[in-house]
Amino acid sequence: MTRMFKAELLKLRRRRVAIAAIAGSLAVAAVAAIAVFLSASNAGGQGPQRGATVESLGQAGGATEAFSIGASFAGILVFVLFIANFAGEQSQGTFRTLLMRQPRRMGLLAGKMAALLAFTAVVLALTEILTVAASAAMAPSQDISTESWFGIDGLEAAAGDYATALLGLSAWASLGMALAIFVRSIPLALGIGIVWSGPFEHLLQDAWTAASQWFPGLLLEALAAGGTAEVSTTRALVLVAVYVTAAVSAAAIVFARRDITG
Amino acid sequence: MTNPPVMRLSGLTKHYGDRAAVDSLTIDVPVGAVAGFVGPNGSGKTTTMAMLLGLVTPSEGMGTVLGEALEQPESYLGDVGALIEGPAFYPGLTGAQNLAVLATVAGHDPAAIPDLLELVELGERADDRFRDYSFGMKQRLGIAAALIGDPKLLILDEPLNGLDPAGVHEMRGLIGRLADGERTMLISSHLLSELEQVCDWLIVIDGGRLVFQGPAAELLDRSGTSIVVAPEDPDDLERLRGLLAAAGHEGRTGDDHLEIALGDSDPRGLAAALNRAAGAGGIVLAELRLTHASLEDRYLTMMNGENR
Repeated sequence: MTRMFKAELLKLRRRRVAIAAIAGSLAVAAVAAIAVFLSASNAGGQGPQRGATVESLGQAGGATEAFSIGASFAGILVFVLFIANFAGEQSQGTFRTLLMRQPRRMGLLAGKMAALLAFTAVVLALTEILTVAASAAMAPSQDISTESWFGIDGLEAAAGDYATALLGLSAWASLGMALAIFVRSIPLALGIGIVWSGPFEHLLQDAWTAASQWFPGLLLEALAAGGTAEVSTTRALVLVAVYVTAAVSAAAIVFARRDITG
Repeated sequence: MTNPPVMRLSGLTKHYGDRAAVDSLTIDVPVGAVAGFVGPNGSGKTTTMAMLLGLVTPSEGMGTVLGEALEQPESYLGDVGALIEGPAFYPGLTGAQNLAVLATVAGHDPAAIPDLLELVELGERADDRFRDYSFGMKQRLGIAAALIGDPKLLILDEPLNGLDPAGVHEMRGLIGRLADGERTMLISSHLLSELEQVCDWLIVIDGGRLVFQGPAAELLDRSGTSIVVAPEDPDDLERLRGLLAAAGHEGRTGDDHLEIALGDSDPRGLAAALNRAAGAGGIVLAELRLTHASLEDRYLTMMNGENR
């Protein structure tokens, strides 16, 4: 597992990857901060579900509010990237090349997953820092005070937002990995994943309101939002953990037993 | 005392549904052999190699590779290098980066990578991305990857596949250099004339079953060497055939020559006898030479069901 972790990091430590990650973080930070601060209203609770208010942005957690909202949208991006990565390893035959050198399949899968999640965690931390900076730059435009952002409470809120975002992204990543292992083909896995987590679950939700209490994509949205009227954070957390555990276990068993051909 | 074989398979079988891709295969490959693995498309060569490499689980049978049990590939794959089903690397990584990833996964020192790239003549293209390589270069990178860690056993699946004549020539030279030592090699190819030049051990399978295994020379000798006899005047061919038959030398008639099987005879003695018989009939020979069946001849004979 450790060797695969290191090998995956070799791929991730390239300049091209670093530039893409930094550019992505900058873009998310800028777009999230601009969108959140320009749309912030004075009437708390009357805006859209995830909308920030001028009052909430002025509180201790205001520095990372834009980050939390931005990170909730990044889940689907991480889902797609993990699908593409793991399905690509299988469709282009590189898993075969690796397994001839490291036949312990569980270790290979775990090492690769750990490296990619570690990379995700670093990029997420960078995104949070950049979003705080962008938010600080935007705050004067709405006459929002940043005084309480940088105290102990502010740091606690930032850490909590980071942990929630990382948890959500890790769940998306795990589900993406599992889907890619089952399906193997990049286009097929992406098609199934995007259609399921996007339109399909939301159509179900429109037809059956209780869907948001059961389906993984909707539960992950509820988790990222810190709970909704229909789903508590605890319920979302527990059910997401169940989905992730089941999906990862099934994927690991399939990967360990499958004949690697083609 | 002889060394135990590098590879010993016994009753190895792989079923896909009702179809047996490999059927009760029992083979030995001796230490240091350059073994050619021959068979028609779909005969089970790649599946057999995939089982040796832990990629495919056998349905039945057992075996050892480098003295370790086949069902424990992690115990021997550290000393095995392989290229199977074509070179598969990360397209966006350079050749050197791809090898570094593999060396790291295998726990080998990446410091040897420049030398490996030089060995396969990719030193100057080490920092080019894999996707920019020609097919021949990709194959050579695959060989370099297989050589990481200086393996005792090298398994190459169709290393000459898809190469142009110059690429085949380069690859043949490379395989020759790699075989020049104590390393054992198992090479599958449908280019039999190429295998014939590098292999000293042959395994022939058809429909997943073993047809022949043993020293390459033994397979080639089985068909019997023959002597080609051609009269100076082609019109004398039929008369020459009669003369030789009368002297007890029946042969196969070609367009302008006869081919007399050597059998157990001494080549020089038989050639002299044929020459004397022709001379006694007043026929001048334009050709009197020894000829050996090629691996391809032998292979086709076997695939047609003879000498199994």
